[in-house]
Amino acid sequence: MRKFLSTKALIGLALVLLVVGIAVLAPLFIPPERATQMVMTARLQPPSFDFLLGTDQLGRDLFARVMLGAQTSLTIAILAVGMSIVLGLPLGIISGYYGGRVDNVLMRLIDALLSFPILLLALTISAVLGPNLQNTIIAIGVAFTPFLARIVRGEALRIVQMPYVEAARSAGTRDGLMIVRHILPNVMPALIVQATISLAFAVLAEAALSFLGLGTQPPQASWGLMIQASRQFLDLAPWTALVPGTALAITILGLNLLGDVLRDVLDPRAR
Amino acid sequence: MKRRDLLASTIATTAALWIGLGPTALQAQEPVSGGTLIWGHSETTQNLDMHQTGTASTSRVLQNIHDSIVTINSDMEVVPQLAESFEISDDGLTYTFHLRDGVMFHDGSTMTSEDVVYSFERLRDPETGAVNFEVFNDVDAIEAPDDMTVIIRMSRPNAPFLARVAENGAGVIIPANSGDIQGETPIGAGAFEFVRREFGNEVELARFDDYWDGPAYLDGILAREITEPTVRLTGLRTGELHFINDIPAERVAEVEADPELQVLTWAPLNFDFMNFNHDVELFQDPRVRQAFDLIVDKELLMQGALWGQGTTTPTPSFPNDASRNGDLVQRAQDIEQARALLEEAGYPPGTLDVVFKVTTNYPYHVESAQIIAEWARQAGVNMTIEQLTWADWLSQVWVDRDFEMTMMNFFTIWEPDRLYYSLYHTTGGFNYRNISDPLIDELAEAARGEVDPAARTEIYQQIQQHIFDEALDVLLWYRNGSIAAQPSVGGLDTVVHPNGSNLNFHGVWLQS
Amino acid sequence: MVYIVNRLLLVVLTLFIISIVTFGITNILPGDVAMMIMGTQSNPEALEGLRESLGLNDPLIVQYGRWIGGVLTGQWGESLLFNEPIAPLISQKMLASGLIVVMTMVMALALAIPLGVWAARHRDRWQDTTSSTAALLGLSLPDFFIGIMLILLFAAYLGWLPSSGFVDPTEDFLGAVRHAFLPSLALALGLMAHLTRMTRSAMIGILNQEFIRVARAKGLPERTVVWHYALPNAIGPVMTVAGLQIGFLFGSIIVIESLFSYTGMGWLTYQALLNRDVPLIQSTVFVIAAVVMLVNLAVDLLYRVIDPRIRLG
Repeated sequence: MRKFLSTKALIGLALVLLVVGIAVLAPLFIPPERATQMVMTARLQPPSFDFLLGTDQLGRDLFARVMLGAQTSLTIAILAVGMSIVLGLPLGIISGYYGGRVDNVLMRLIDALLSFPILLLALTISAVLGPNLQNTIIAIGVAFTPFLARIVRGEALRIVQMPYVEAARSAGTRDGLMIVRHILPNVMPALIVQATISLAFAVLAEAALSFLGLGTQPPQASWGLMIQASRQFLDLAPWTALVPGTALAITILGLNLLGDVLRDVLDPRAR
Repeated sequence: MKRRDLLASTIATTAALWIGLGPTALQAQEPVSGGTLIWGHSETTQNLDMHQTGTASTSRVLQNIHDSIVTINSDMEVVPQLAESFEISDDGLTYTFHLRDGVMFHDGSTMTSEDVVYSFERLRDPETGAVNFEVFNDVDAIEAPDDMTVIIRMSRPNAPFLARVAENGAGVIIPANSGDIQGETPIGAGAFEFVRREFGNEVELARFDDYWDGPAYLDGILAREITEPTVRLTGLRTGELHFINDIPAERVAEVEADPELQVLTWAPLNFDFMNFNHDVELFQDPRVRQAFDLIVDKELLMQGALWGQGTTTPTPSFPNDASRNGDLVQRAQDIEQARALLEEAGYPPGTLDVVFKVTTNYPYHVESAQIIAEWARQAGVNMTIEQLTWADWLSQVWVDRDFEMTMMNFFTIWEPDRLYYSLYHTTGGFNYRNISDPLIDELAEAARGEVDPAARTEIYQQIQQHIFDEALDVLLWYRNGSIAAQPSVGGLDTVVHPNGSNLNFHGVWLQS
Repeated sequence: MVYIVNRLLLVVLTLFIISIVTFGITNILPGDVAMMIMGTQSNPEALEGLRESLGLNDPLIVQYGRWIGGVLTGQWGESLLFNEPIAPLISQKMLASGLIVVMTMVMALALAIPLGVWAARHRDRWQDTTSSTAALLGLSLPDFFIGIMLILLFAAYLGWLPSSGFVDPTEDFLGAVRHAFLPSLALALGLMAHLTRMTRSAMIGILNQEFIRVARAKGLPERTVVWHYALPNAIGPVMTVAGLQIGFLFGSIIVIESLFSYTGMGWLTYQALLNRDVPLIQSTVFVIAAVVMLVNLAVDLLYRVIDPRIRLG
């Protein structure tokens, strides 16, 4: 298993680095207008020397679009997960650390929120706020928060019962110090694992929202949007779906592999 | 049979409306009765109350259930339908309708003046929430001197009144006191009666044997609601469907070449235009509006968004409308001049940011916006697209008028008063662009009171010229409508209503 | 017993919170249904008349009271846009989606259990790697992308299965299954991944236990040991994970039903949301959240029944 683990780690890391590399470097080498330029005489063209990955229904270069789309996808995913951490981490820690009535009230609320499928919640929030880049981030971030708070709370609850925490408490350490010194660092491993897996899911959520028209706005290159546009031309030009779909799959696969490996390394209970 | 033939032949001979007709060999065959037509309908039907519903898609089904007091022929003239004849007094204040004898409703009752009065009163009652409410604004009284006569008295002359009644829904007659059930089980005097609706899936209609104009050939119609265009086409090809409307634009050429299918395309299904919000300071400058007009290559945009399934037009008037101004020519694309005009107006390249709101309800609008944004970029304008759901577009653009640029289409507005008064008068019901132009207001008012048709035509042509000169909107094109059917479907040439949107199945038959 | 009562009280409380959240969110949605009904034909007077007759002008608390009272008494009201009673609409669409959910579960379990058992039996060998890789791939392909590929392969290219539409299972069961097949398969491949992993780890845990060693020592064939002794003990945790995935599935069906034009609950919710049909959004969202919560509860209770080691309370 160790060999597989290390292969997994290598592949995962390689894929994530590839996608991050593209996200960072593509905008430096591919001018943004390459993704919006249209050649009306070259619509739905299969891959060729002129267009490495073919063109879409408006004669735009799919290579440029899929490369620049990496940045859109990752930026939204990272900011959304970051937001869910900012919101969920304090909620979870407070709930787990103080326990009792606070915990009870917060957890009832979070349990109720967890009954809403994440995608449904994100969709509704996006419909309320109106679709644009910033609101897509908010919608995904808020929808993820209950889930993240729940995980953090579980960890905090476990750590609070550790002997060293009880020892520190009987020594009269103040709550704030206790949280910063003992709880937060020990929540971190689980949080990092969860954040990585959430990133994979956030990439997926962004694509799904864009697919339904409630995410990234055209003509910006977004993989979900590209898949959505490809639907109508599937039998004429299957590459218009395959190109962004493969990009999406590579990204999510990389993040999942990395999440798995991190879990095996960082989370003692999952081993 | 005789009356139907008359209507059918007038439609088929109007070259202005028809631009293409697929294989027609089968049309020569003799009609036969029987069979249920399975129709792949492009949209989901909503509220089934004909007086309330405002969407062209739902009307498309409902028009087969209902008949109207008057309707239009292919020359856009008002002709009797449930009325046998009508008269207008010389002062334009009194309309007298003589009802047709023996018109039956689907509930078995016979139409009398009571039903007509009920329908009109319901339409003009604000509580009903009828879309055509304002058509009756100048109506003073509706009277029924006897069972077969209805008189409408106006408070002042309203030249377009009769044409407006002939439009979508405003003249539809329903049985007295049936208003409450219309939304769920519509009852009318049309050629087909409503059987059931499985919501989001299908609507079933059955032939109404007592139809005043002779029973239809088909036993029934099953309208399956299939919103995905390629799926509809596949269904037709595999034989699951007999008939579809709205062939995906990029497939029309391919389907037309298919000898196994009949195809019919026509123009216009609707017209499309690009709009500015005239309350936004930027767009109060005609140079800016003209610059945006110059940015757009209308023919290329039409090719791009509609795959050639349209005809560019400089005016929204229907092609066969007598008041259409035929002298206008669209501005050709000239990015350099657009840049110069913008610079002159105080917006040098790179300084202008514009938001273009577009609704996903019309995917080709989203495509158009992306193409326009690309041209705008070349002209030094940074155009951002916001794609809105239909609900959001209606709320933000139509009602709150919170937008900078947008685009929209209109179906079935062939009547010039509705077109120019509603869309361009300062107080017009469709003037969501906040257009306020004294000359247009004056002309539109004048046309309303003008009883001489030639003089009205003159006025409307002047209005079109002014709209074009000032680039109040950027007119783009008439979009083609399209239907396709299996070879076994007969009478396809009788399906499309002169308004270009409604589909009428009274004259359709199925070969066994 | 006390535990059960407590749990049920909690359910009521959670449902109440769900109803408040649902109502709250739907009422800050911009736009309203009166506009949607009239479309571009609307004008202020007619809109106002329609709003009044639809009850959109009442204060929020009145609207909430009317709604929750209706929900409790079975009077779910009418969809504003479609002018149809909501309760039968939802039960009809729930049936359609239920078929998809059940088929997805069956397919996912049918794939995941053999794959997971196989991986566990050959732990750390190529079989394990293959199974883990398959699971990861299933996990990484977005379901709507899988859906598109399935349409391309089975509907457009091979022409074996319908790519869209819905058939009422009470009228034509086989037809209904045919129409639900591709959407279910698209969902099942993702779900399979979770379940394979769960099966594998549960099986590994059990195969290491004493009673298995004893069974093996008695000379029972490995096949019998694995399928008759080990698997029944591993099924509990697998079913729990499966149950907990219901919530996730109800999120995914929104996208998948829209892709396949399958008019079930997900489609209805999306339509309601797009059309600002507030009573319909409230009912669909509330029903979905309630179903998810109740399924989770049922799984939880069942698990306690199956595995008495978990203390109640």
